Amino acid sequence: MSLNAEFAATACLTEEQLAKYIIDSTREVFSTMVMMDPSDDLPLIEPINRFKCSITGMVGFAGTYSGVISIHCPVSLALKITSSMLGMECDEVNDDLNDAIGEIANMLGGSVKLVLSKGGLDVKLSIPTVISGEDYTVNSLSDIDCVVIPFNLDGEKFLVGLTLKKED
Amino acid sequence: MANILIVDDSSTMRKIISRSLRQAGLTVDEIFEAGDGIEGLGVLASGKKIDLILSDINMPNMDGLEFIKNVRANGNNVPIVMITTEGGDEIIKEAISSGASDSIKKPFTPDQLQEKLGGLI
Repeated sequence: MSLNAEFAATACLTEEQLAKYIIDSTREVFSTMVMMDPSDDLPLIEPINRFKCSITGMVGFAGTYSGVISIHCPVSLALKITSSMLGMECDEVNDDLNDAIGEIANMLGGSVKLVLSKGGLDVKLSIPTVISGEDYTVNSLSDIDCVVIPFNLDGEKFLVGLTLKKED
Repeated sequence: MANILIVDDSSTMRKIISRSLRQAGLTVDEIFEAGDGIEGLGVLASGKKIDLILSDINMPNMDGLEFIKNVRANGNNVPIVMITTEGGDEIIKEAISSGASDSIKKPFTPDQLQEKLGGLI
């Protein structure tokens, strides 16, 4: 699983550089807005599409390249993240939880857009989308053209993924 | 003491901005909230005295750019600072040319709020 060479060449970024940017952006969002400090792992080799008792926040890109940046998080961890962001206890899946995870995806989307814009690409962001459930599957445009970084936080893991596809 | 209007479709972000304003030590009196540009215009039309507006750009119903244009078209010259993920982009230039005073990129720290807003309130 890797970023397609065409994108990497156009944006003047290697897959490793983009992975580092995703890591740095995620850590910045969490340290400033969530008040938590996750640690990153090596990018996933095999994709994960199926999630159990989880919540997923996604922001789409449109323009020269289309794609999605997403955060996939166990509900148990999402509750801790939301509680820390809001400074108040959140103990159930509700609007606050959905909004917090969506806003994290939104900020990650903005950071990635900044990288793409530096590369000369015209990219627009969508409004965040959030889904959650006991057992669901998320299918990307292509599992070939993506980077997924696992993060460790408070004894649990969450994923941040970026999928991009060049438009004809 | 300043009254501040926060316009952002994320209730989480509105809460974080409110908290950060106070953490930054800014002299805030009342904070009003709106979920999009239309609601923001409603707050202004209600006659409440607003000294500073902090607005997102990417919002449903009425985005931040339309909101600024409407505020200025109504003859209101209150300072408007964009707080948005859309940093370093052409859209910021458009916001400034539409009447925004400045912009702050999300994520931000209370110190960055102090630096950008300290001279406005």
